[in-house]
Amino acid sequence: MKMKAYMAFAKKSFLQKSAYRMEHWMGILNTLIRLVIYVEIYRALYGAREAVDGITMSMVTTNFILSLGMESFFVVDDFYLSYRIGNGSIASEMLLPVSFHGRMLADNLGTAAFKLIFHFIPAMLVAVLFIGISAPAGAASMGLFVLSVLFGYGVLWSISFMFQMFSFWLINVWAIMTIKNVFINVLSGAMIPLWFMPESMKNVIKFTPFESIYFTPVQIYLGKITGAEIAGGFIKQIIWIVCLLGIGMILWHKGQKKLVVQGG
Amino acid sequence: MRSDALKLSAVYTKMIFRSWFQYRVDAILRSLAVFMREATSIIVIYFTLLKFDSLNGWNIYEMLFLFSLVYVTYGIMIIFFTGLRDFGKTVRTGGFDRYILRPRGLLFQLIFANADWFAAVGHGCLGILLFVLSAAKIGVVWTPARVIYYIFSIAGGVLIQGAIFLFLAALNIYLFETNALKEVFYWNGRKFAGYPISIFHKAIQFCMTFVVPFAFVNYFPSQFLLRKDDMAMYPEIFMYITPLVGIVMYLLAYLFWRVSIKYYKSSGN
Amino acid sequence: MSFIEVKEVSKTFKVNKRSAGIPGMIANMFVPKFENKKAVDGISFDIESGEMVGFIGPNGAGKSTTIKMLSGILCPDSGSISVNSYVPYRQRKEYVAGIGVVFGQKSQLQWDLPVIDSFELLKAIYRIPEEMYKKNLKRYTDMLDMGGFINQPVRQLSLGQRMRSDIVASLLHSPKIVFFDEPTIGVDVIGKETIRSFIRELNEKDKITMIFTTHDMQDIEQTCKRILIIDKGSLLYDGSLQEIRNKYGTTRQLIAEFNEDTEVTPIENVMIGDPKDRKRSFTFDNSVVDVNALMHEILGKYSIRDITVTEPEIETIIRKIYNKEVFA
Repeated sequence: MKMKAYMAFAKKSFLQKSAYRMEHWMGILNTLIRLVIYVEIYRALYGAREAVDGITMSMVTTNFILSLGMESFFVVDDFYLSYRIGNGSIASEMLLPVSFHGRMLADNLGTAAFKLIFHFIPAMLVAVLFIGISAPAGAASMGLFVLSVLFGYGVLWSISFMFQMFSFWLINVWAIMTIKNVFINVLSGAMIPLWFMPESMKNVIKFTPFESIYFTPVQIYLGKITGAEIAGGFIKQIIWIVCLLGIGMILWHKGQKKLVVQGG
Repeated sequence: MRSDALKLSAVYTKMIFRSWFQYRVDAILRSLAVFMREATSIIVIYFTLLKFDSLNGWNIYEMLFLFSLVYVTYGIMIIFFTGLRDFGKTVRTGGFDRYILRPRGLLFQLIFANADWFAAVGHGCLGILLFVLSAAKIGVVWTPARVIYYIFSIAGGVLIQGAIFLFLAALNIYLFETNALKEVFYWNGRKFAGYPISIFHKAIQFCMTFVVPFAFVNYFPSQFLLRKDDMAMYPEIFMYITPLVGIVMYLLAYLFWRVSIKYYKSSGN
Repeated sequence: MSFIEVKEVSKTFKVNKRSAGIPGMIANMFVPKFENKKAVDGISFDIESGEMVGFIGPNGAGKSTTIKMLSGILCPDSGSISVNSYVPYRQRKEYVAGIGVVFGQKSQLQWDLPVIDSFELLKAIYRIPEEMYKKNLKRYTDMLDMGGFINQPVRQLSLGQRMRSDIVASLLHSPKIVFFDEPTIGVDVIGKETIRSFIRELNEKDKITMIFTTHDMQDIEQTCKRILIIDKGSLLYDGSLQEIRNKYGTTRQLIAEFNEDTEVTPIENVMIGDPKDRKRSFTFDNSVVDVNALMHEILGKYSIRDITVTEPEIETIIRKIYNKEVFA
């Protein structure tokens, strides 16, 4: 019953997304341009070398194709809550018989579904045909990869969810969202493959949720990690999702009280 | 500029500062966020070159110098051109109509009513920091001639980016949504403008030289000072014409802007 | 030559036509469809200096487009406009220096700053001489009783206070003509009354020409002597409010309450309603049926406890004009 309502929200944002024709085509082009540029930078860095630290150029290429591909449909709206607090519509939305978070997720997933079909797939086709991607390490790797992509999105969404809760206390969350995204960009492997990070940084990154977003799925796809390591990767992803959502919910309850006291 | 226009720009600036100081903490956080966001590329190139030593013959300090030119010019440009960056929103919300209803130049109002001094602090500080870190280590003797060359190149780089903003702003009058277009042609270009263009595919080199000529903002001026081997791929004259490119582009963008304003009045939005 | 002359003005917009549903969405992503929409279609009118004129019409009727053309934001596709001997869309800077525009939906004040700061900025923008600025500021803020909040940031003001501030903002440079686009939208009853009486006084004393658009007929009734009704881009009516009443508001409804259940015999040209709580309505056109005669007839024939005659609301008449039930 409730599921139906969430589906309706998801469908609505799916359709809304289609209104911006230009934005859409440019978005695909954008992903491809960035991909080509990253690959070219690494080609120049590699020069004549076959492999660096056991990482071949084709692994690097695959890392960028997969990471940028995931990024293209990993939709989070960092300003979903702050926008609604800002214009006061939060009060009426909380009266709806569906959970606010459920609705937020449904809206994001609707957009994500649109991006998956109309952005990720065409961009991937072009990338695979014209740039070339390593084959997955095996059928099992491919299956586990898909699963870890889902959890990867979960981690990214949960980080945003937690940070959004600061909207209850800050007039403007643009600054902290921007800073949050700096950490995601640098530490998730989307801009620099984590293999090439200095050892000291690798040790730090281990204890953050960021590598769980893009890098863990890529590692599984390439067969760079196997067996127990894969299980460890999944456990880490799940632990992070649970922790981040948990903290987010605690903040949500505190924030909600503040909102009620101030009368929205 | 007439003294009266100067006075008005001073009043606008006073208002902007007052608005910002209404939310002091937020203002500082914003500048910090801009600084960090822009530093992302620097952190990435720094970590990358720890592993790989050099990129097509450019070492880390030369790379930082290349990046510094992008940030210094952008920092100066954005003080004045924020209103053009956000022009799409101004048009959509009807704010542009209000500018038309006031007896002052449209561009003048857009520039001074929206000047973003605080984002400029974020970009500018990063640019200056990078310059300071790299200038002494790139083997350039800063003779007066080179300093003058540097200043003119900065001015040219500011004009080139200002022209792109003006052009993209005018485009908002024809298109409902230009953010994606901007993302592709401007932000992408800028994100990678810190890399020597010689490493890219010919098509991208062509774009960065003749379409969205970021190469004239930093790559060619740096080549005048650094004389790296990869300059052999390009005509030597490119090292000297940044100011000229800036002026020509700005004039063209301004003409397009004038035509677009006429179109706005005849088509509505 | 009239102060404002509008001759045969037309304006067409191109709008994106969207098809519904997912197939329509996909089609639209590849091949967008456009259609032309005539927003204003051959409108002509004159307005004299010092007049106060109300523009009314349903949403999308072409009111705002007309206002935008009059204020110089848009230029017409065909026809000509002259205001105060300027062509608004050609001599922009000279023209707008002498007009004021209030958009009820969109403030021109600096959101984060005290009201007075916005006024100071406008003083610089319009190059208002110090004396004139002081005089206008004092006069208008006194009239609108703004002393209490002029030093408060705009974001803290109520809608009514903000609107009053916006009105003053558009008057500081002593414009000869002021356009009001929905100046009372969302404002409470007392606030509306303050704004209306201020506008009336301004028009009477300062002889400022004023053009209104509003959905609130009370605004019009209490301020404007003349109205222009626009629908689907055409001018349906141009004249006084009284005239509209006389011409189209001729329907009257007489309600009689009887002392006991009574059968009523039909009366020529009068529509008799069904009985309800011993009350019956008699609807008629007062240009056809004489109200005195009718009352006499009813009072003479039946035992009557109470009798009332009502005029139609102006809203009802206007709605009838839109619906082409009466022809202007």
